[in-house]
Amino acid sequence: MIRTVSVLAILLVLGALAAAVVPHLGMPRELAGVGREYARDGMEVTGSANLVTAVIVAYRGLDTLGEVVVLFCASTSVVLILTLFPLGVRPSPPSRIVEHTARVLPAPILLFAFYFIAHSHLSPGGGFPGGTVMASAFLLVMLGSTSVPGRSGSLPAIEALAGISFGLLGFWGVLTAGQFLNNRVLGTGTPGQLVSAGLIPLISIAIGAKVASEFSGVFAAFRKTGGME
Amino acid sequence: MSLFYWTVAGTGAGLVIVGLWGVLSRKNILRIALAFTLADTGVNLLLVWSGFLPGRTTPIIDGTVTASEAAASVVDPLPQALVLTSIVIGVAVAALFVVVAVLASRRLGTADVRRMKELRW
Repeated sequence: MIRTVSVLAILLVLGALAAAVVPHLGMPRELAGVGREYARDGMEVTGSANLVTAVIVAYRGLDTLGEVVVLFCASTSVVLILTLFPLGVRPSPPSRIVEHTARVLPAPILLFAFYFIAHSHLSPGGGFPGGTVMASAFLLVMLGSTSVPGRSGSLPAIEALAGISFGLLGFWGVLTAGQFLNNRVLGTGTPGQLVSAGLIPLISIAIGAKVASEFSGVFAAFRKTGGME
Repeated sequence: MSLFYWTVAGTGAGLVIVGLWGVLSRKNILRIALAFTLADTGVNLLLVWSGFLPGRTTPIIDGTVTASEAAASVVDPLPQALVLTSIVIGVAVAALFVVVAVLASRRLGTADVRRMKELRW
């Protein structure tokens, strides 16, 4: 009873705070502040037709590097915990539908993931969603079989290589342009072309490889310990 | 358009409220994890909503949006970039949450947070 009342009280206070803010919001009609600058100069400065990617990889590339580090810490913790404290449950065999889907779908999913990553500066997509889609193909393959993944050296190797290349691409800017992660060390080319936008496609590939290998490692750790059933 | 605008805001706020309610009132730790991801989704939706401008299109410059009029015809790209970060971190935190929750319920023999006496002080 006390519990319910206190929960309701907390939610009511939060709701009242939100309701107090709403009348001051209105509906904006114009871009303001830094968003306006990104929309106006984004393509000119970075060569990327996709302004969201321009913000993520070029303008705020350092933050993205930090985000990759956070993701690395979280996925490493998950794998570490599951390796140290195995749950000891065997995976159950897949249903017939999953088994057959897992033979057909991974190839188109992978193709879509490659498109997502390679066209991150042209159309919606990028390293993070592309890497996640790629890892989902891996997950489907794993769910479609009864075998448990063994010790893999290639996933950590890909992950390390991708992380190191992100850092090295950043230092390339330090050496030639005096700025970490300077996007213009490579020419920006013609915006809208596949080969354009400076470092953005290369960094997207590095992020995609890193995210895909990290999520795949997490899925494999769950599978090995049997936590997915 | 105004209806759509406030519907999206209401959905985001509703997801946050439902998620917080679930985190505070549910007993099963996996349901708490699920409620947590609901609140996370609501926050992401509100962030994207905050960059919405009526009658404008996606922040991608192509045949329909030229570079010179981009600032007057696209929505704010900054919240969308922030939300991408937020989604990825949310997934990582949720994975960690679930792993710790499953381990805790295994070790303590219950998934009921009221009976996890080791966590009390």
